[in-house]
Amino acid sequence: MADALTRSMRASHVLVAILVVASLIFAAIGVVNGDTFYLRLGTEALIFAGLALSVDVLLGYTGLLSLGQALYFGLGAYISALVLMVTPSFWAAMGATFVATIAIGAIGGFIANRVRGVYFALITFGMAQVAAKVVYNARTLGASDGLIGVPIIKVDFGFAAISTASPAGFFLFTLAFIVILYALAAYLLDTPFGRLLIALKANERRVPFLGYDTVTPRLLAYVIAAVIAALSGALYPMLRGFVSPELLFFSTSGNAVITVVTGGVGTLVGALYGGILLTLMKSVIGSYTEHHLIVIGLLFMGAVIFLPRGLMGIVRPAIARILERRTKS
Amino acid sequence: MTYKTTILAALLAATALTGAQAADPIKIGVVTPLSGTYAGIGQQVRWGLELATKEVNASGGIAGRQVELIFEDEEANPAVAVQKADKLFQVNKVDFLTGTVNSGSTLAVGQVAERAGKLIATTVSFADSITTDKCSPNVFRVNARAGQQSSALAVWLSKEKPQANVFYLGPDYEMGRSTVAAFKSAAEKVGAKSTGEVFAPLDSKDYTQYFGQLRSARPQVLYTSVAGNDTVRLLTQMQEFGLLGNLTVVGASGTVTAQNLPAIGKAAEGFVTGVGYSAQIDTPENKKFVQAFQAATKSDPDLYGADSYGLIYAYKAAVEKAGDTETDKVRKAFEGLKWLTPQGEKTLRAGDHQAIQTMYVVRVTGGKFMTVGQVSGDDAIGPDACPRF
Repeated sequence: MADALTRSMRASHVLVAILVVASLIFAAIGVVNGDTFYLRLGTEALIFAGLALSVDVLLGYTGLLSLGQALYFGLGAYISALVLMVTPSFWAAMGATFVATIAIGAIGGFIANRVRGVYFALITFGMAQVAAKVVYNARTLGASDGLIGVPIIKVDFGFAAISTASPAGFFLFTLAFIVILYALAAYLLDTPFGRLLIALKANERRVPFLGYDTVTPRLLAYVIAAVIAALSGALYPMLRGFVSPELLFFSTSGNAVITVVTGGVGTLVGALYGGILLTLMKSVIGSYTEHHLIVIGLLFMGAVIFLPRGLMGIVRPAIARILERRTKS
Repeated sequence: MTYKTTILAALLAATALTGAQAADPIKIGVVTPLSGTYAGIGQQVRWGLELATKEVNASGGIAGRQVELIFEDEEANPAVAVQKADKLFQVNKVDFLTGTVNSGSTLAVGQVAERAGKLIATTVSFADSITTDKCSPNVFRVNARAGQQSSALAVWLSKEKPQANVFYLGPDYEMGRSTVAAFKSAAEKVGAKSTGEVFAPLDSKDYTQYFGQLRSARPQVLYTSVAGNDTVRLLTQMQEFGLLGNLTVVGASGTVTAQNLPAIGKAAEGFVTGVGYSAQIDTPENKKFVQAFQAATKSDPDLYGADSYGLIYAYKAAVEKAGDTETDKVRKAFEGLKWLTPQGEKTLRAGDHQAIQTMYVVRVTGGKFMTVGQVSGDDAIGPDACPRF
């Protein structure tokens, strides 16, 4: 018999499957109507959902509130842009991002994990601000103007290739990419290592008494989150053809935290739904009124007050119950 | 039965109406900051565009078609601007786009336009790169770039104070350093001697630590590109130390503005800068514009309002010359276009899509910006440095 956590994660998987089906229908409608804008907006929403996923790995599992995930998102975006401008290869960009993020994430994790709680939030915030200022002033990185002219590339799989300029093609590719990131995160968190992270969140002082090290798992969780954020960020210049220092600003990190809280902390799938919802809402409300930030703010407050466990807090237990009944009968 | 006939009649009337309307309106997308730090600039852009559109529509539109503006908030963030521009091009099917304020947004949106095969123009961004090394065949700029402002100031300086000793004080970040470097090379070209430069961190509270260096350099002119509250502290501290006596202070156009001028007070007296527009310009066109602007908005137009106002007339002239809103035809019509604006006649240079215009030198006198000189467009423009077309 599976325990409560595995059961609720199964419900998360069902919700991801629903999301994938909905996205496929959306893509089909988009192709039929010859749409470009909504497919690209959907792609952007998925990319930011990947960033939110990384925040949930830290906040929902390890219990670490990072206010600076934009650091790794922006890092991935800049590395990917720089590599693509030299050699237009998807795998080279992703490989470079992966390696660099592990190195920089380990250093960042070493610094940030020396402290706990609110100090952790502040130090992650500080590191991201420092990085943003450096990029903002580095002329080789385009300074405040950012980098434009990232070429349109083909993602080559050997047997087939997808152009990043094809709205539907790149949307489906990004969907697959983010779902794989979700699956990897969900798998890792279901292993004993993942249980250890949850134990850290519940009571870090007791973990050593059970014979476990606390420093390494925390650092590993931090690096994994950094890699998820960076790989999502690396897709951004492929979609939009440019990067700018605003991607590293606090508004990016802050939006990711809002996304996770609205979607449901510790559910992983909540980050995906929240990310898509927030991006679409910002776009739609922003077209009607310049006071869109007030509207988003009120909705966020409403979500925190009335849905303390996020959107997934209502949906997921219901699905978990249905799954349970099925397995019993 | 009667109900059905009414609907039928209404439908018929509607089709008759659409048939009578000879042409659909020309749609112009405006991606500009309507919220956040730059909302004030976005407001001027909006007022300028709306005023010109109202006038154009009242006098028969562009080539007989009415003009419709569609606004989107870009939050001064290129990532948002790109998404909104994509929407205006793909969903609203706009014919033309403008409004971007920060240079990063203009460059990024320019690339979106290039990929969508549409044209954009900025009326605000002043980074030189937009019409030099990062120029695009689909991007036009109708306002003066930073280089025009600093060369106008340098030309004025060489006439007023030939062979002057100049000291430079800039804010220590990329933009501050590049504005100082730009003015330094422009001033040295017309005979000024540089006696030293110093960079102070942004948001410095105490500038007195640099005064020793400034004094020993014995300059006649101080150039500074600090902005906002930094200018308030720099100039008031200089006044307290009695340094403003024999020194002419010149600076970037954003150093002393209507916003921080009241706080600087007397210390701002005599400050000189080069600008592309001043509400004081004494021409009938400008007086008419200022009056109409005040009547419509209850405020004075600034640089951004005037440049945005002028853009609608440039687009009108180009579309009427091209006879169509098709990208290639309008681009050709824009290149070399001469048209009238509140600042006088402007020319869009074909080689880099930069507007050439008369530049004005203004000095703070009695707490107000007064025009003290003007520099002809050709003297201020500098060479065409666009490598792409």
